[in-house]
Amino acid sequence: MTELSLEAATLESEQTGRTDPDAVDATLAASGDGTAFERLYRRHISRIYGLARRMITDDDIDEVTQDVFVRAWQKLATFRGESAFGTWLHRLAINVILGRRETLGIRRKRYLDSDAMLELIPARRPGPETALDFESAMARLPDGAREVFVLHDVEGYRHEEIAEMLGLATGTSKSQLHRARMALRQHLDR
Amino acid sequence: MSDRWVDQLSDYLDGELPANERVALEAHLQTCDDCSEVLDQLRQVVAQARTLGGVPPRRDLWAGIAQRIGATPGRKAAGELAFRPRAPRRWSFSIPQLAAAAIALMTLSGGSVWLLRGPASPGPVATMVPQPTGPVPAINTAVRGAVGGTDSYAQAVADLERVLATGRGQLDSTTVRVIEQNLAAIDRAIAQAQAALKADPSNLYLNSHLAETMRRKLDLLRQAAALASVS
Repeated sequence: MTELSLEAATLESEQTGRTDPDAVDATLAASGDGTAFERLYRRHISRIYGLARRMITDDDIDEVTQDVFVRAWQKLATFRGESAFGTWLHRLAINVILGRRETLGIRRKRYLDSDAMLELIPARRPGPETALDFESAMARLPDGAREVFVLHDVEGYRHEEIAEMLGLATGTSKSQLHRARMALRQHLDR
Repeated sequence: MSDRWVDQLSDYLDGELPANERVALEAHLQTCDDCSEVLDQLRQVVAQARTLGGVPPRRDLWAGIAQRIGATPGRKAAGELAFRPRAPRRWSFSIPQLAAAAIALMTLSGGSVWLLRGPASPGPVATMVPQPTGPVPAINTAVRGAVGGTDSYAQAVADLERVLATGRGQLDSTTVRVIEQNLAAIDRAIAQAQAALKADPSNLYLNSHLAETMRRKLDLLRQAAALASVS
């Protein structure tokens, strides 16, 4: 069996349902197929929107999320399939979100003096009227601690990757993560 | 409980504490209920964070995205949009590219024995004899890996076109049109390269470029056929 016959045979097996729909749609979208791109949007919007909502706290989450997909559309030609499309999109989303934050000048001591801000997060009290849920407590973390916490504990990135993304020392990423966890332990859903 | 120990708990939890510090902390945890409780709480924080999934937006953001990437309202079902595709990719070769790779054309046209022997084997192509047991230059391996010989390439293209034709009805008209436009563009690029190779049959760069273009055609056909099968 030649290599190409094998390829054709592989296609036959893919037709049984093992095809990666993201890879197919990414290829078509890179050729200008907006319908394929809409399918990618539908499959990934929740994860990207959730990331944006947790990473930024202003009112521009919808716009930033749209920016992510517009940027993805523009950069599709650079997607080589070396990683899963979702991984590629997620990393691109982080870049867009961080870039947006920089544009808005939201640096405001993100990684400095955050201990004091952590203390401002009210502790969870018994009773629904005073309780903050876990997500709300996350949103009230200082920007730097929240970003590291989201990227590490929610999204699963390693400290080395986070340090590179955020332009931090690895040790700073670790200390911010610890501070965020210490603050959030008071808001565990029990 | 002291800051010294508490400050190490996250690194301990993540397995990032050096061995000697880990041993010391574990010994401390044996005797300190407060630190053990904090560690348990941190563990719960991490566990809870991992349960957080995606969040759907409160409104559908697609319309705004479609507008920004060039979509225009169409006649499809309500809520759908028809697209104005981006300009098709350029499938063209520069003069230097066109100057470099005639070998591929020979390989791909069935008269490519020269390629199988490599650029170190000069001589009239038509008189060369394949030497399958001899060493093969990397470029030749790449070309064969990319598109195979003429017969196998044509067979694979034919197979994929047949699969695509069978499943064509499963694709919407916009997708079919985009696929056809891109296949036509790739075919034009292949024809360009082949014409250039006739003028410069010893161009290695063009050889690889042609092989890559033909591989793109295979890839596109394969993806399109697969899409037709899953739609």
